[in-house]
Amino acid sequence: MEITSLVVILVIAFALFFDFTNGFHDTANAMATPIATGAMKPKVAVGVAAILNLIGAFLSTEVARTISGGIIREGDEGVLITPALIFAGLLGAIVWNMLTWLLGLPSSSSHALFGGLIGAALVGVGIHSVDFSVMLSKVILPALVAPVTAGVIAFITTRMAYALTRRYDKKADGRSGFRFGQIFTSSLVALSHGTNDAQKTMGIITLTLIAVGSQDIGTGPQFWVILVCALAIALGTYIGGWRIIKTLGTGLTEVKPAQGFAAEASTAATILASSHLGFALSTTQVASGSVIGSGLGRRGSKVRWGTAGRIAVGWLMTLPSAAIVGAAAAFLAGIGPLGLLIDTIVGVAVILGIYLWSRRDKVDHSNAVADVAASGGAVKITKPRRKKKKAKS
Amino acid sequence: MIDWMAFLIVFIAALIAAAAVVGLYALGLRLLVTAGRAPLVAPAEFTDAITVMSEKKRLREEKRVEKAVRKNPLTPAQRMIARIGAYACFVVCGGAVVYGIYLIIPLFH
Repeated sequence: MEITSLVVILVIAFALFFDFTNGFHDTANAMATPIATGAMKPKVAVGVAAILNLIGAFLSTEVARTISGGIIREGDEGVLITPALIFAGLLGAIVWNMLTWLLGLPSSSSHALFGGLIGAALVGVGIHSVDFSVMLSKVILPALVAPVTAGVIAFITTRMAYALTRRYDKKADGRSGFRFGQIFTSSLVALSHGTNDAQKTMGIITLTLIAVGSQDIGTGPQFWVILVCALAIALGTYIGGWRIIKTLGTGLTEVKPAQGFAAEASTAATILASSHLGFALSTTQVASGSVIGSGLGRRGSKVRWGTAGRIAVGWLMTLPSAAIVGAAAAFLAGIGPLGLLIDTIVGVAVILGIYLWSRRDKVDHSNAVADVAASGGAVKITKPRRKKKKAKS
Repeated sequence: MIDWMAFLIVFIAALIAAAAVVGLYALGLRLLVTAGRAPLVAPAEFTDAITVMSEKKRLREEKRVEKAVRKNPLTPAQRMIARIGAYACFVVCGGAVVYGIYLIIPLFH
């Protein structure tokens, strides 16, 4: 029994750390476009994102309920999912999240989490442990549909924004006014992020508490769980993200205020609508879909499919990769307390190793912009000739 | 078993919400320009992702805006209507956002 409570504490600690890396990873979703268009200073943007993530985490707990009551069959008719397995799944998610962070890929934290859990459940319990129909309808399909939804909406709204402000007499069109509006739309994205991503960790902790019997099946997250998760994601958001801001803000497509506004509005609308229905979709993929959609909606704007393809590969790899790590960790955990100890030591070692590795070429707000400048040169934009000359001068 | 309707609802709801917010904001900007008050918001910080606007360029842009204002063919009354319309657009846009947030908070229902 003592080992069980120790494992519960470990799960909570690692879950909160996962939440932290999640915020760390996802600052870019909300704040890459306003930073790229100069709507907000990077430091201000990150601070705003942190506060709104904190608030967003309290607003809706639908997604947490999806996770704590559905994907893995728990309870009487299902299988007994042990805290040790949840721990193994978390380990898989964290290792994969840290790795993609190091590589600067906006991979999905949610997929990492689900991948890790599924891998752990498959090895620890067997194939019947995972409720694949719930998986399909609440996780896999939303993951595929959401970026496309956001992309199409961003495409339409970008067209709208440009059409409504277009002037043929070359007078000032007032489009820089969108820069002001971006402050609000990007804030909304940060808020919606809190309503979706902070929920995932709450779901995990709740699932563990239900598994050890200290909480009733079918109940939502307890208040202290909501509070610590909200704090963890806010802290992560504040501290992290420069590396990924670099890829998403400039690597993908050049962003103009009108376009950024439309992209953010689409991202926020898609995430909020999905959160409301309890879909645990990937906020990262929705944001990326919006950025690409709005890029295509702009005249003469060109998405660099090479970069987009690299990101898509990162997406596809996330779930299986995290599943493999989760499965390996679950295999070790199956041995007994010794296996769990090895898991913990290896996990902490990998996290520390990646952290130390990342210190070698540190990217933060002081030099992120310089890097942005370097990569910005590679962005391909086909502008009308007249403008091209202007840009060069 | 797979709830396709839910996806459709998400798509339609998100599309309506995003289109309303972007459309109203864009319309508001358009009306501001029509009213002869083209907004000029300089970027907070220059990155290479934006077309860098130097101080000189900014002043030139401001002059362009002023010139556009002077040439405005509308009467003062018409301009006033456009301006009121613009502010109305911004208010409705903000209201739509607040209503959207209100909808998703279970506490209010």
